[in-house]
Amino acid sequence: MKNPLRKRYLRELRADPGKYLVIFLLMILSIGEISGFLVCDESMIGAYNESFEKYNIEDGNFTTESELKARQIKAIEAAGVSVFPLIFTDRPMANGTTVRFFSMRDQVDLPCLMQGELPDAADEIAIDRMYADNNKLKVGDTLNLQDGDALNPQDADARALQDETGDGVFRISGLVSLSDYSALFENNNDTMFDAKQFGVAVISPEAFQQFDRDFLTWRYAWKYDTPPVNETDENDRAEEFVKTLTRTTDLTGFLPRYQNQAIMFTGEDMGSDRAMMTVFLYIVIVIIAFVFAVTISNTIVSEAAVIGTLRATGFTRRELIRHYMTLPVMVTLLSAAIGNVFGYTVMKDINASLYYGSYSLPTYVTRWSGEAFLETTVVPLALMAVITWWVLHRRLKLSPLQFLRRDLRRNKSRRAFPLSKRIPFFTRFRLRIAAQNRNNYIVLAIGILFANFLLLFGLMFPNVLHNYMDALPGNMFCSYQYVLQLPAGALDEDRKTESFLKMMLFMRAVETDNPDAEKFSAYSLRTVADQEHPFQEEELLIYGVEESGRYIHQEIHPGEVYVSRAYAEKWMLHAGSSITLKEPYEDKTYTFTVTGIYPYDGALAVFMERENMNTVFDLGAGTFSGYFSATEITDIDEKYIGQKIDFDALSKVSRQLMISMGSMMDIVDVFAVIMFMILIYLMSKMIIEKNAASISMAKILGYRNSEIARLYVMVTSLLVILFLAVTIPVESVALQWVFRLILRTEMTGWIPFVISGSVYRNALLTGIGTYVAVALLEYRRIGKIPMDEVLKNVE
Amino acid sequence: MFLRLEGIRKSYGGKDNRVEVLKGIDLTLERGEFCVLLGPSGSGKSTLLNIIGGIDAADSGTITIDRVSIGSMKEKELTRYRREHLGYIFQMYNLIPNLTVRENIEVGAYLSRNPLQTDELLDVLGLREHAGKLPNQLSGGQQQRTSIGRAIVKNPDILLCDEPTGALDYKTSKEILKLIETVNQTYGNTVIMVTHNSEIRHMADRIVLLHDGQLRDNTLNPKKVPVEELEW
Repeated sequence: MKNPLRKRYLRELRADPGKYLVIFLLMILSIGEISGFLVCDESMIGAYNESFEKYNIEDGNFTTESELKARQIKAIEAAGVSVFPLIFTDRPMANGTTVRFFSMRDQVDLPCLMQGELPDAADEIAIDRMYADNNKLKVGDTLNLQDGDALNPQDADARALQDETGDGVFRISGLVSLSDYSALFENNNDTMFDAKQFGVAVISPEAFQQFDRDFLTWRYAWKYDTPPVNETDENDRAEEFVKTLTRTTDLTGFLPRYQNQAIMFTGEDMGSDRAMMTVFLYIVIVIIAFVFAVTISNTIVSEAAVIGTLRATGFTRRELIRHYMTLPVMVTLLSAAIGNVFGYTVMKDINASLYYGSYSLPTYVTRWSGEAFLETTVVPLALMAVITWWVLHRRLKLSPLQFLRRDLRRNKSRRAFPLSKRIPFFTRFRLRIAAQNRNNYIVLAIGILFANFLLLFGLMFPNVLHNYMDALPGNMFCSYQYVLQLPAGALDEDRKTESFLKMMLFMRAVETDNPDAEKFSAYSLRTVADQEHPFQEEELLIYGVEESGRYIHQEIHPGEVYVSRAYAEKWMLHAGSSITLKEPYEDKTYTFTVTGIYPYDGALAVFMERENMNTVFDLGAGTFSGYFSATEITDIDEKYIGQKIDFDALSKVSRQLMISMGSMMDIVDVFAVIMFMILIYLMSKMIIEKNAASISMAKILGYRNSEIARLYVMVTSLLVILFLAVTIPVESVALQWVFRLILRTEMTGWIPFVISGSVYRNALLTGIGTYVAVALLEYRRIGKIPMDEVLKNVE
Repeated sequence: MFLRLEGIRKSYGGKDNRVEVLKGIDLTLERGEFCVLLGPSGSGKSTLLNIIGGIDAADSGTITIDRVSIGSMKEKELTRYRREHLGYIFQMYNLIPNLTVRENIEVGAYLSRNPLQTDELLDVLGLREHAGKLPNQLSGGQQQRTSIGRAIVKNPDILLCDEPTGALDYKTSKEILKLIETVNQTYGNTVIMVTHNSEIRHMADRIVLLHDGQLRDNTLNPKKVPVEELEW
């Protein structure tokens, strides 16, 4: 015979649909979101990893002064590589952006068509999908060149392309993702990409002919005939290959794939927030498990006599534990099933859109994820089972007789805590209610802590970025920094004379007449994570500055080392700290002792006296690497400028974060409010239900609904406000810690944690506003409690 | 002897406020016997019933049921003992609110290897037409009949009744007593019923009177009276 108690489950659900519906909703939303995220993450990473082979991504690229001749290509290919033209032109567009035009590729770095068609006619263009999204462009729209300057006046097609003002007009035939531009870095030295201002596009070879040769950048991709076996091999082969190239042609750029941010950044960045999302799910499940635990505890109290009878009749404790565990576990199982369906369908697409908002990824195929199943189904089920089992095991330890007598306190002291008679009656009553329902209120406090944490996180994130951007102009020590770039392969140990000449030419070419310019030396090193600082390693600039310069307002004497405030905050440095930095692709390290902190938040940087630095890094006396300037420097050829650091460059990190994370933060806010509402609703509902008999008695005695509400709803109201007020400062500290932890471990760069007071005010008001809505429901519930509740004879 | 109690002692409280509830009770019952435990409030009758039922433990003394001693049983063994041999009826019916009459009875049947036929029992209990109702749709008497059904459906060796009519009116109480009498006669269970209503003693085979934790009287009833003839 099957256990007849199982018939209670469905009836239990039907008897209290509100409670279970909101729990379902919360679990489905959480599990759905995380499942969608994990599935999407795994599918996207899979698509990204496969793209290397599927779209035949280059092993690297190099840029030359002029077009390679066939014999040069033959000579280069003799080094065991295949060379493919990847010639482009960067053109300013009428919409204020820059588009990099490539001729259609058919051998290497193949495009993935996302929508529409690849360009065929001379006026057709297929643009990057993310650039199109950010600039609200779609298939069929036109995309205008800012001017027709780059169009070849001799070319008939080019003339046809020009509109009445002489500008070039393209019709968007399709949206693509270029496999070598999954992160739209315009220059490899950029700290971050900006997919609104910069995009890539392919046009037909005929259309590409329309561009005047003077405007073309001669870039070529290479693929090794035999792929490198590992990273070291790849590094060694790249170092050898650049020597071959310099002997064959004049290089202006050389970029092996492993250094190419446009290709590698996406892979390194994707999947970094998996742990955070999973922990978030587990916290939600633990909170829901405790909601269930409180529900179960209340049920045990109300069914004490039944439980006593069942135990007296011969039901084992294990049978009863199983009985009371079944519903929470079933609810979790069902939520996980629906949540996974929801995750694999709706939420996967939402998460994919977040990824597509950050990266220009190719199309992906949804993959069944065993890990997602484990993390969104098995672990939540196990968590729910363990927590409910633990609560039930403790609660049902009492003897049948104790249940029959409703003597459910494990602690025998039943004395009420003393309250002075001077305290008004209603206040004393409320204090007793609070004490009686303390378990519910503890869960409510934990729930508010967590929901508010999410809410604050969602509100804080954009605020911190805005504050950072607002403060940035004031933080910059000059409006422009130019880091010069020696042409690739200019220094060749085997050809010293030639190298020396090239160096001399370079030094002459990078002199400026701008009176605002001040020379500095720069050297790029990489931070080194250690046990004490298990942080994300990243490159930073060492500045060699004038002892008493115009732009760095700190006298830096030879031998002194100052670090930027951003670096000091991120790596927790102070005067006297020791820092170790390493050459990016070598094992050589440098150790310095920090003299002081320089108040600069724009980037991680180290400041030394220039000549001292030239000596330390063996750069040669009088050498410089760039200029600080209050005004733009226009008399240096762009090909010698490796990096231009201005407001636009420094704010790229925050702008890109705003674009990629902005919609995510909206989801977090909505989720937090829903969770907040659900928890308050559940807890206050339980408190009212637990006190139904007392409320009923109060009604019989003649208390009005409003008076009863003042007792029961007011207690919850006051405690909610108290919890909100207490948790917000605690959360602020926790958020700061989490924010910094994320920046330290997951991201490069640093953003100071500055939150406006409005964020706290909005969080508090949202919390109170949400509660008011729930309180109205509670008021209604009190009105519905019948007067005969207390007189009912049945359990 | 089917049931034998020897020297049962039980006290509650700590050193300072120790109250001795049972002060050495000796009692024997035959299988199928109907025993009424009488006594004023605080005399220890419910405690004695709970000790026999294995939901409370004696401080000293032995309890043997069908030659099996339950005094030394661990919790699991006690649960099995209750499951296999005992049925409980309480003053408050303690029915499961979201199970129907039939299902509440089936809760008892589930525990037995050879339960009685639920349909047949519903007829005996006079609950056939209420089988699909929930407890809150029933009168007090009907609820108590359901709880009796739950207790006897597993055909227990011993039926323990703790003030089963304590919350019922005269007429309903007589109906319930009649039912217990019928069950005793039909199924041959040993019935031990705690009551403070001395009139009920007339329907019993054995009358045990407790006073201040001691056995004041233990007699066989030579003139057993049918329930219909009881008056109080």
